[in-house]
Amino acid sequence: MEQKSWHINRREFIRGGGAALALPFLQGMSWGKAAVGQALPKRMIVSYIAYGVYEPKIKDGLHHDWNWWPCKDSGPLTFNQSAAPFALLKDSVSYLRGLDHAGGLEMGGHSSGDVFATGANMSGTEKSNNISVDQLAAKVNGHKTRYASLVLGTEGGTGAYGSAKTLSHYGPGRPIPSMHRPQEIFNRLFNPYAGKGIEQVRANLKREASVLDLMMEDSKRLQSRLGKEDQQKVEEYLDSIRALEKRVERTSQWTHQPLLNVDTKGLNLEVSHKDPEEYTRCMYDLLYLAFQTDSTRFATLMLESEHSSGSEMWNYANYVLGYKGATHDIAHKRPTESGKWDNWRAKQHAYFLERLRNTPEGDSNMLDQTVVIWGSAHPHASHSTKNYPIQVAGGNALGFKHGNLHSFEGDKKVPLANLFVAMLNAVDTPTEKFADSTGEMTEIV
Amino acid sequence: MQFYSLRTRIKVVLESVSVFLFLSGVASATDISSGKFGFESQIKPFFKRYCIECHGPEKSKGKITLHSLDGDLAAGQESKRWELILDALEHEDMPPEGEENQPSASDRAATVKWIESGLRDYVKKASKLPVATTTRRLTNFEYQNTMRDLLGFELELSKNLPVDPDRPYHFHNTAELMMIGPDQLVRYKEAARKAMASAIVDPEKPEVHQTITKWEHGQPAKNGLTQAEIGVYHGPGVGRKTVGLKSWPKTGEFRIRVKASGNFPPGFQEVALRLVMGTDLRHDSGSGIYQEVGIVHLTNTPDNPEEFELRGRIENIPVQPASKHRNKIRPPSITITAQNIFDNGELNDHRKSGFDDSWSGKAPRVILELIEFEAPVIDVWPPEHHMRILFESPLRGTKTDEYAYEVIKGFMTRAFRRPVDREEVDHYFQIYKIYDAELDTLEQAMRETLAMVLISPQFLYHTVIDQPAATKLYELASRLSYFLWGSMPDQKLFDLAASGELNDLAILEVQTRRLLADNRANSFVENFSTQWLSIAKMKTVNINHDLFPRFLYTVHLGERRGQEQLFRPSIRDYMHEETVGFVSELIRNNASVMNIIDSNFAYLNEPLAVHYGVSGVQGLKLRAVPIKLEYHLGGLLTQGAVLVGNSTGSAPHPIYRAVWLREAILGDEVKPPPAEVPALSDSAGDSADDATSIKNLLELHRNKESCYDCHVRLDPWGIPFERYSAIGKYQPLVPKDKVRVRGFNHQKDKTFADYQAYLRSIYTEEVDASSRLPHGPAVDGMMKLKKYLLKERKDEIVENVVRRFMTYAIGRELTYRDRFEIKKLLKLAEDDGYKLQNIIVLVCQSPIFTGTKS
Repeated sequence: MEQKSWHINRREFIRGGGAALALPFLQGMSWGKAAVGQALPKRMIVSYIAYGVYEPKIKDGLHHDWNWWPCKDSGPLTFNQSAAPFALLKDSVSYLRGLDHAGGLEMGGHSSGDVFATGANMSGTEKSNNISVDQLAAKVNGHKTRYASLVLGTEGGTGAYGSAKTLSHYGPGRPIPSMHRPQEIFNRLFNPYAGKGIEQVRANLKREASVLDLMMEDSKRLQSRLGKEDQQKVEEYLDSIRALEKRVERTSQWTHQPLLNVDTKGLNLEVSHKDPEEYTRCMYDLLYLAFQTDSTRFATLMLESEHSSGSEMWNYANYVLGYKGATHDIAHKRPTESGKWDNWRAKQHAYFLERLRNTPEGDSNMLDQTVVIWGSAHPHASHSTKNYPIQVAGGNALGFKHGNLHSFEGDKKVPLANLFVAMLNAVDTPTEKFADSTGEMTEIV
Repeated sequence: MQFYSLRTRIKVVLESVSVFLFLSGVASATDISSGKFGFESQIKPFFKRYCIECHGPEKSKGKITLHSLDGDLAAGQESKRWELILDALEHEDMPPEGEENQPSASDRAATVKWIESGLRDYVKKASKLPVATTTRRLTNFEYQNTMRDLLGFELELSKNLPVDPDRPYHFHNTAELMMIGPDQLVRYKEAARKAMASAIVDPEKPEVHQTITKWEHGQPAKNGLTQAEIGVYHGPGVGRKTVGLKSWPKTGEFRIRVKASGNFPPGFQEVALRLVMGTDLRHDSGSGIYQEVGIVHLTNTPDNPEEFELRGRIENIPVQPASKHRNKIRPPSITITAQNIFDNGELNDHRKSGFDDSWSGKAPRVILELIEFEAPVIDVWPPEHHMRILFESPLRGTKTDEYAYEVIKGFMTRAFRRPVDREEVDHYFQIYKIYDAELDTLEQAMRETLAMVLISPQFLYHTVIDQPAATKLYELASRLSYFLWGSMPDQKLFDLAASGELNDLAILEVQTRRLLADNRANSFVENFSTQWLSIAKMKTVNINHDLFPRFLYTVHLGERRGQEQLFRPSIRDYMHEETVGFVSELIRNNASVMNIIDSNFAYLNEPLAVHYGVSGVQGLKLRAVPIKLEYHLGGLLTQGAVLVGNSTGSAPHPIYRAVWLREAILGDEVKPPPAEVPALSDSAGDSADDATSIKNLLELHRNKESCYDCHVRLDPWGIPFERYSAIGKYQPLVPKDKVRVRGFNHQKDKTFADYQAYLRSIYTEEVDASSRLPHGPAVDGMMKLKKYLLKERKDEIVENVVRRFMTYAIGRELTYRDRFEIKKLLKLAEDDGYKLQNIIVLVCQSPIFTGTKS
């Protein structure tokens, strides 16, 4: 089918947030080396695992070996069997115990993942979700790269209320569908014009801008004819048109920058979910490539989503460990099953962190320029929504200090959003308050 | 015991008192003077005496407090809270049962009356204020149907749209949750362009693609069947015939002709032939990438083969992409698979041991002599759906711009579901000019232009224009058709809106019944019932195949565990159809709402009948079947969709079932357990190991103080369901405490009958299904529960159904402001014997629905 209108470019660029316009930052795309006088990119990732981790009440013996938390007490990190894959990354990781989002407390463990990156009070004062931490950063700094952000998941789409398949949201009621097909992700990142000539792409964009203008005009006229309450509803629509207009502009700007020629060597883009390790690593590799080429700096990756009985995710534990049950069930099991599952996840994440660390950038490496959250809003089998498992990695060059387990339990309790505030500030997104934050976390920054 | 039965009697007396008050309006001796004085002198002391201890400054159970109310109902600030209090007092939910400090019946009635009349005054005053949001976007269900009716053919378009907000026991169309963001708009645009690519064709007649395959009925093949025969379908490679399409067009309608009959062993009269298209089921490992084209229920014999025709759109058929295999390139392919989906309820066995090739001889066979595929269908060219948009006109060819203007206007009028004004059309005409300047043909430019119409807010939203009433009746026509068809109005409704006749309540009634009688109402009943009864989850409950080896048809290899595949419809598909069909039947027959509690019929086909132990039902078509007492069926409560959906897959789950009963049937809102509540088994501590029945476990759980308040009002509703197993069968016996049931085991059980014998040998104990209902009597089992509900809970049940219909119909939650209209409607329904179809008519005539309130 022919693809003529703005649609073609929309398809390719829809990942961009509603970013402010600015001249493209081009030279940063040189592989790992910053141009003279150019600041190194500052990046942020939020990644998510579902169905809880192993967190026994008993802290000894097998229970300790397979506890998701690498060591018993706060202080310098030591690594148990479950967290062993991170042992070589000791100076690049921190574990933060006792953090959570107050807004997720009443949602139930299988649903609080909705607000992991947003901290929205969905079951309370807010009727819907709210802006996620990556999108806030993208709003401020997204214009510096071809794509403001990259939103990945293993199931794709947005999911429904209480069973999100994405971590990212532009704002209330505007979830960003996650992408989950490696080939599609690759194409959108590195082959955005689908083989079309640049002139045609530009002509299409121009036409699209005019059409959107007219759509805007007509919609405003409709809006004026509605009752007050309903006008607000249509405002949502107008906002969406405005966002699309901005994307058209942004895309046009970027057509003046040459595309990088990235080949697919070493990537198995046809990988199936039936091979969770291959698949997960492929997703990590794509994320790595997007960073390495400075195509984007802010990303979310929903490695696992709750309520996944309709997808192959449900069988991961079976494919990986031969566990005879659903992925959901393994979290309800005792030390070895649940712990081995955590350990497998740790291996995949450590693979990614090491890849970043082994890639030089400026005077250090990519990991030092990238702060990575890895955790869950569904701590363990009791479906509790308190005390998330949270690991923060990287960003040493952005001011993060690692190597310890920090406890925020009891009277040291602070909202998880305090960490978000610290992360946002570290990636040049000046922030005083995010969601229910009460300040900026100072322990690791 | 004495205490409780006494309370029941009080309740009955009290109810008749309050009904009396409500109807007659006669002041009782205990009338409390209205306004501030009455509040200070009597209401406040009442609260203080009975409520504040738990709902005050010290404790705020359920997050409700009463001490801060100032008694000024007319201010309208606290109306929501007042309505909650009113409901709790009126239904005697509060003070909680067992609390010794209870108000007298007359005090309670007087307080109820005081709140109610205060609320009524406020609602009267507030009716001039703006109501909640009514503008909402189309749900995906409505979008799909609207596109079908607008374009005149069915394209699958909603698959890539973000899903609608989905909360258990809530409808998907709640206005305030239906939001649109840029990504959604992008996807709407993709869908719109896809639709227009198919709707508008290019002028030249396309090439017709054909594939014809024949089989000889005389020629013997394997297993004693002939070449044309298809035995029972029981796996990707067995019991089916396939045809690979030689070629096919990108767009267009296709037609498949089959010549078929049935070969029936003694005792069988019917066999179902099903055609699916997409990837070859043999290659596909179960991701279900194929589309059902249709099912033919064959009753004709081999000496009398008949031709059947099935149609569909080629765009909807998934294509197996090209692949490279050992340096050989396989081109993209589409396969038609013809299946014999005969199912007598005994074939299900994911271990394949329950059936083998010998089944093919014993069961009815399909005789398939011919499959003829043809696409696109060009009986007329251009097709009707094209002509509907680019209609014949003398303007065409000479005055292209004027023609284009008329085309756009015509399409917009239908797409916006109301007359359009000049300015609106002008906007889209300008858009057309932009495309027209760059694209070669009228068809190309029109596709792009009309695609933009399809992403306009006028198309995507249900809107209520605030200005003079010119569009009011069109909006009403839409509200009616979206309620009862999930789609846009048809010409008849547009005409009645144009003529003003829709204003007439009698005509509105005729239209309501006409729409309900139309086939399109089926999808309303399905969409409504699925969400109202929250039965979709039934299909994802992980069934324990070891305990229930014969329940589901799943295929072993490479499949997702616990999920049946689309190789063949499964019993869970039929269970879904059972519940939807049952509700349809009630509406069709204008039967009483109370049939949802108990009925003298069930809605079954053969596999369902076998599952429930009902004899004498043959074939796969569902129908109303009279039931006997010993089937333990009737109403919704015993239907598989409800029982399986609210089980664990291994065992019944009384809490899920209790929540279901209270939410879906009684209309209560059951709050989810607070975070940090230990799981059922953990809360019982070590003693959990000894508690083998869930009932015991619940008792332990309830004994924890933190769990008590909620569970004491919840669990008793679920216990009477206990004689229905996880897969929805009546199962009055269970094993003794501490006896572990082993699953089906090939070493130990040679056949399924052996396993059944084993189960019988250990299932020796009567199930304990007795509990005392909150504010009610002790009931033992389902029959007693139903009796109680029919007798004592009629008002709540009917009110719940009425509220569900209304909420669904208007796309927003009802508030205290709708309370008195609903009460009026309930009174009318009661006088009329709670007839379901009449209730739907009443809903459509209600000022809440017609929007004539102010």
